[in-house]
Amino acid sequence: MGRRVAARLGQAVVVVWLVATLAFILVHAAPGDPFGFDAPNVTEAVRAHWRAQFGYDRPLGTQYLLWLGNVARGNLGYSHSMHEPVRDALANALPRTLLLMGVAVALSFLLGVGLALYQVAHHGQRRARWAGRVALFFYSVPDFWLALVLLLAFAYWLPVLPAGFPVDMTMHAYMTPGAALVDRVRHLILPALTLVLLTTASIARFQRNELLEVLPLDFVRTARAKGVPERQVLRRHVLRNALIPTITLFGLSLPALLGGSVFVEKVFAWQGMGWLIVNAIGLRDYPLVLAGVLVSTVLVIAGNLLADMAYAIADPRLRVD
Amino acid sequence: MHFRRILACWATLAIAGACGRGEPSSAAGAAPDGGTLVIAEPGDADVLFPPLTVSIVGHQIADLLYDHLAEIGDGMQTIGDQGFKPQLADHWTWAPDSMSVAFHIDPRARWHDGVPVRAADVRFSLDLYKNPKLGSPVAPLLTNVDSVSVKDSLTAVAWFHAKTPESFFNIVYQLWVLPQHLLDTIPPEKLATSEAARHPVGSGRFRFVRWEPGSRLEIVADTGNYRGRARLDRVIWAISPDNNAAFTQILSGDADMLENATPDQLKAAAGHAGLRPFLWPSLQYVFLGMNFRDATHSAQPSPYFADVRVRRALSMAIDRRAMLRNVFDSRGAIGYGPFPASLATADTSLRLPPYDPAYAAALLDSAGWAAGANGVRAKNGKPLAVRLLVPTSSAFRMSYAVLVQDALRKAGIKVDIDAEQFPSFVAKQTAGNFDLVLAGYGTDPNAGGAKQNWGSTAVPPAGFNYLHYRGPAFDALLDSASSSFDPAKAKAYAARAYQAVADDAPGVWLYDVVSFGIISTRFHMPAMRADGWWQHLADWTVPADARIPRDRIGLGAPKP
Repeated sequence: MGRRVAARLGQAVVVVWLVATLAFILVHAAPGDPFGFDAPNVTEAVRAHWRAQFGYDRPLGTQYLLWLGNVARGNLGYSHSMHEPVRDALANALPRTLLLMGVAVALSFLLGVGLALYQVAHHGQRRARWAGRVALFFYSVPDFWLALVLLLAFAYWLPVLPAGFPVDMTMHAYMTPGAALVDRVRHLILPALTLVLLTTASIARFQRNELLEVLPLDFVRTARAKGVPERQVLRRHVLRNALIPTITLFGLSLPALLGGSVFVEKVFAWQGMGWLIVNAIGLRDYPLVLAGVLVSTVLVIAGNLLADMAYAIADPRLRVD
Repeated sequence: MHFRRILACWATLAIAGACGRGEPSSAAGAAPDGGTLVIAEPGDADVLFPPLTVSIVGHQIADLLYDHLAEIGDGMQTIGDQGFKPQLADHWTWAPDSMSVAFHIDPRARWHDGVPVRAADVRFSLDLYKNPKLGSPVAPLLTNVDSVSVKDSLTAVAWFHAKTPESFFNIVYQLWVLPQHLLDTIPPEKLATSEAARHPVGSGRFRFVRWEPGSRLEIVADTGNYRGRARLDRVIWAISPDNNAAFTQILSGDADMLENATPDQLKAAAGHAGLRPFLWPSLQYVFLGMNFRDATHSAQPSPYFADVRVRRALSMAIDRRAMLRNVFDSRGAIGYGPFPASLATADTSLRLPPYDPAYAAALLDSAGWAAGANGVRAKNGKPLAVRLLVPTSSAFRMSYAVLVQDALRKAGIKVDIDAEQFPSFVAKQTAGNFDLVLAGYGTDPNAGGAKQNWGSTAVPPAGFNYLHYRGPAFDALLDSASSSFDPAKAKAYAARAYQAVADDAPGVWLYDVVSFGIISTRFHMPAMRADGWWQHLADWTVPADARIPRDRIGLGAPKP
């Protein structure tokens, strides 16, 4: 097991290095640079001075080696778009995205699996078909459209929730701890609901199909023949065996939600990782883009590792090395 | 039609509110101190360090937290010291030969950490601005200021290289005085990324509270300030991912002000009783520029625009006023030449090539660009096909690009639009990699400001003359304007310089950047200055009966 984990970690380092190198080449291939910002009163001579100050006038190979060396030492550089060290920019944005993603992933998997069980338990009935149609609807709608509709519905037509931002930008710093918590939750509801509705639908459809494939198998028939109550058959025997592909989906959903939440972050002014990286790409903030790529890559790998570990929990046969 | 009426009504209100009248002083004076202004801002500050800041929010913070030695008057007069009001210096004395001026520092002036402001701070500030290791974009504007010497702890003497009409303007307008005791231990090349550039300590009527990059920036009134505390308690910039998100904040009441509203946003806000528009002029203008150099071989002249007949033909093929109405409805401000109309030396009566498509066609014919079978003119087999560079970040310029393309198509000129993100736009503009460009120039308020954009010595990398325009008459006349001590004469020389550029037709003067903002009706604001709506922000007030909960936060510090 130890060798297997070590091998996976070794592979992970190689993957991170390859992705980061490719990202370095691509981001530098894009026209412009960090000092091409909109400032009509900054001469080209001054921009050139700043480029030299940050080493962007050096050959690309030298820049790459310097960057790689800095990253290896844990120095991610200075963000030109956020005007703070990259680690600080990530430290501010990542928790916001993880909060949004964490809530969205947890709720959508719970609801998705629950909805799938409901559909299978009532297979062939009208209510199961309706549940399927609702799931299909949310599965089909674009994320930005749903975000805008929810925004209009609950921030304008029925103004019960805030329209955007992770917290009340003015008052949050002056609230009592209790009020600040309520404020944070209120701001979380709409973006999280958007992601939950979108993700739940796809998980429910996926999980339902898996459950329906497992239902006719012999061991299920045996369980029923032994008189196990139908609810227990579904939960203990069918669901556990149908969970493996969903766990894979769970592992992959972490980075996907990071990327997918870009639109949601945009609509709800949620200044998380998606917003940070998109902004950094537009402003050619090389260090921040590359750090964002590194974080995303690590998340993909971590998601896969988590899925592997979850397989072993769900299916004892996979625990053998 | 309804929208036009709404806009016209709002425009009237806004202009009345912004063009000199402002709020009655009695109303503003009667309001007690206090109130919170939340600005929904789609762009964050860059660095909070005046010598290096280039962003709008960065400039706002610099102007609100730091002081100049003297403050330019609302008339933006830059010649001599007429119209300037005391700020850090409570008075000043010229040397008999006008080669130096002694500024007496107000003894009450304190940095926000309580340390007194001293003459040594002025000397330190100038040395820092001019230090090549810092790379301040302001340094070229201080070249006529030789040095500052310290006569005593409260007297700083500024020495000039030459006696010029704008010597005083140069030292007091371009230089923010910085605290030596906090900055002199940091190497200049490290200042941009230092903590000091993120936690500014100034001497202005507002002081810094905190900055969460990408989220919020907060300042509060400096209650013990030597010039009197700011009337508002606090100002918060709520940084939004984009303009639409910022507008959402305004509509929901979470923010009070949006400084740049689009026509659609103005229309949407018109139905809200608690909001009103305001207009703020600027020192920026947008024009269609023609590259005098070949876009691909910059050492060679442009095959199209080296010929003045072609340049004038383009000018006459474009109906500027129709385009202005098309893009801005009733809110646009037509361009009058290579300057913004709010400049003290502006002359709105220049002779510009009129819109005359038939004359434009005749000019192109005379220049040898004959009409081709496919509708595109050609000369010696080379089609008159050009590339128009435009930044995607400006919706207005993008709209203009399509209109220009259509107008020139009718004149037999094929235009391919090269729409680029701003960093790419800057890179191409600087490299001269364009035939036409929808350029936006900003200028200093002084008579010589146009030299940075149109002077022969201002081609990149030294300046912003991206078109490589060279006009000896312009250079000479603007020098005369800059060296004239009589404002009327300076304006006359400047007008002749501008006319020289207009006659050479290097550009088509499309519009002045006049921005419409939206603000809560709670706020009473005095008249605005052309170099920034925020210049008198410390005197904005909120009547007691109009206050909402956030106006009553008080001056307490936020939670860490």
